[in-house]
Amino acid sequence: MTATRFFNAHLIDPSQSLDGIGYLDVIDGVVDAIGLGTPPNSGKFDQLIDCKKSCLSPGIVDMRVQPADPGAEHLESLSTLLAAAAGGGITALACLPDTRPVIDEASAIDSLCLRASRIGGPRLYAYGAATKGLAGHEMAELGLMAEAGAVGFTNSATSINDSLIMRRLLAYSNMLDKPFIQHCEDHALTKDAEMNEGETSTRLGLLGSPSEAEVIIIDRDLHLLRRTGARYHVAHISTRAGIEAVREAKAEGLAVTADTAPPYFLLNELAISTYNTAFKLSPPLRSEDDRQAVIEGLVDGTIDAIASDHMPVDRDAKMQPFGPAQPGASGLDTLLALSLTLVHQGQISMARMIEALSLAPASILDIPGGTLTPGSSADLILFRPDSSWIVKSANFRSNSRITPFESHPVQGIVDATYVDGTAIFLRD
Amino acid sequence: MTKRDTTGVQSPNSKAPAELASRHLLGIEGMSPIEIRSLLDRGHMFADNPHDGVSDALRGKTIINLFYENSTRTRVSFELAAKRLGGSVLNISVAGSSVKKGETLLDTATTLNAMHPDILVVRHNCSGAALLLSQHVDAAVINAGDGRHEHPTQALLDALTIRRRIGRIEGLKIAICGDIANSRVARSNIHLLGTLGAELRLVCPVTLLPADICNMGVSVFTDFETGIEGCDIVMMLRLQTERMAGTETPSQREYFNLFGLDSGKLMRAAPKALVMHPGPMNRGVEIDSATADDVEKSLIRTQVEMGVAARMACLEALVTRPA
Repeated sequence: MTATRFFNAHLIDPSQSLDGIGYLDVIDGVVDAIGLGTPPNSGKFDQLIDCKKSCLSPGIVDMRVQPADPGAEHLESLSTLLAAAAGGGITALACLPDTRPVIDEASAIDSLCLRASRIGGPRLYAYGAATKGLAGHEMAELGLMAEAGAVGFTNSATSINDSLIMRRLLAYSNMLDKPFIQHCEDHALTKDAEMNEGETSTRLGLLGSPSEAEVIIIDRDLHLLRRTGARYHVAHISTRAGIEAVREAKAEGLAVTADTAPPYFLLNELAISTYNTAFKLSPPLRSEDDRQAVIEGLVDGTIDAIASDHMPVDRDAKMQPFGPAQPGASGLDTLLALSLTLVHQGQISMARMIEALSLAPASILDIPGGTLTPGSSADLILFRPDSSWIVKSANFRSNSRITPFESHPVQGIVDATYVDGTAIFLRD
Repeated sequence: MTKRDTTGVQSPNSKAPAELASRHLLGIEGMSPIEIRSLLDRGHMFADNPHDGVSDALRGKTIINLFYENSTRTRVSFELAAKRLGGSVLNISVAGSSVKKGETLLDTATTLNAMHPDILVVRHNCSGAALLLSQHVDAAVINAGDGRHEHPTQALLDALTIRRRIGRIEGLKIAICGDIANSRVARSNIHLLGTLGAELRLVCPVTLLPADICNMGVSVFTDFETGIEGCDIVMMLRLQTERMAGTETPSQREYFNLFGLDSGKLMRAAPKALVMHPGPMNRGVEIDSATADDVEKSLIRTQVEMGVAARMACLEALVTRPA
């Protein structure tokens, strides 16, 4: 039996509405007791950790991470991915299926999860590709992948544009009781597009795609959802219209959820003014009005979760003119600090932010984590929310070092990350 | 017979090289009216004395023309401008070069940089390519057209053409007509002519109108004859079919009927209205031959002539810039 006591900790657990100085006892990897104030003088502990009033919260559950391994290990191996996640306070992550080979069958899920467990670190989950080879034409073996542990289905960075296939996928996901995660983009409207359409795209001479490309897919999917049932999740939502649609769907009682990523609440399309390809993302950076809508959506819970949207991109694929450059950026190392920006700006409460980073994604994917209630796995992080640092991609633990936040001042440092009560990351 | 530019205080026929704030010429957006006028004034001078050897500012200097898109007039114009200033010119066209073998823009830039050129003139099909190149080479970079973004020397030669014919730009009513969405010429001209005080109108089908362009100080018309009503200059743009998805206009026949310029439609413009076109023209698509070739009304050949003078002013300004 191993017993650890964290004391003098600023506990933040939205699942129990806890927010204050207190203690947490972990026995054999499971939360045994938690409470505000001075801990009772009982029990024997192998380890007593004075948290010195640092925040202690559930670990981050990152529901959108693109691994490059297998297939493009030179960009990011599974080891650096997991190490970066651990260093970023992430105790569980869900991997997109766009690897080589594509994760579109059960053995690929087995293989990825097995390799991750050998490496150790955060809990790794995988989505199954919704269609074979992510081509969008034929349904992949969703049932077998679900048995192998897929936490949901998605066509990764592309939408299912064929309405019939989409209908089948939703119905099938519903039968398997797994969420369907959609990157919402009407690809006909965004063909050849280089950025969001508006005055900035006009000035830069970059081909714009209208922001309606997002809500068109959301609206269609909601109509299908009313017929099929299913848990439907909008990934990296970025437009006001899309957020409104999700808000209304929730009010209607549909099982709809959404996540977004830090670039969409911290940056807008004006960042592209110098054609810096680090700002080329998918979906593209939107207007300031859209950015404000993302913040409003996070505050009122229309957007349930925040994910890193971590996407390893070859530096050569970014050392290009803006048009042909590949979209995507690194996100694991910066997820917590960037998200806390909204807390420091007073736009969102710390409790709501922690919920969006942990409890909400864990419940969307129906996986452990996101709570420190007694009996739950001790997946937790210790962090100092006010400590400042400057984003320097050269110092990332991730081998993927393209970030739109280079040289950004941020606040929030993770000191320790625990999974099942065992430290998977300790700051020197 | 130059006339005084009512918007400027200095002589339009400048004896000194133009002065630029930047060491590159990447676009008109952000340039001050003073910089633009100094280039135009110097351009006047070169236009007046095309063979006089007014300046040998480029003697001993190397200019590389790096063209990723086919071009005859712009490349030749830059070459002639550089040679008239005494420079050595190297032309690199992409067909048959290492670019075809997959070399990236930046690798090409690094290679060329090692040859220590003084000026790189670059045309590329991607917006922002000239800026990207300028961040990785020691030479001064001139943007000879990047995607749909800017084509600053075209706007300068257009302004020079207008100024030599009419004497001023301020207060003129100028209609820019046609494929605005895909046109770098339109963007550079909007910035330049707007900065110098022209009243700008854009006339095009709504499908070729880029988003929120009315925020750039222009008024927009989708009816051709209303749009050019009373205009002093009607500037036609080439329909850039190579940049179009095929969904913008139903047919060239319809396009010419609704948005092509002929002598009948031109009647709606001001009585002495002049016609411009950056070339190459699609005759019978955006302009009919009778109008294009009308020596009284068409400035199209003058534009080509002014191209050399305007580019001489630009090249000279970049090499004589104080360090």
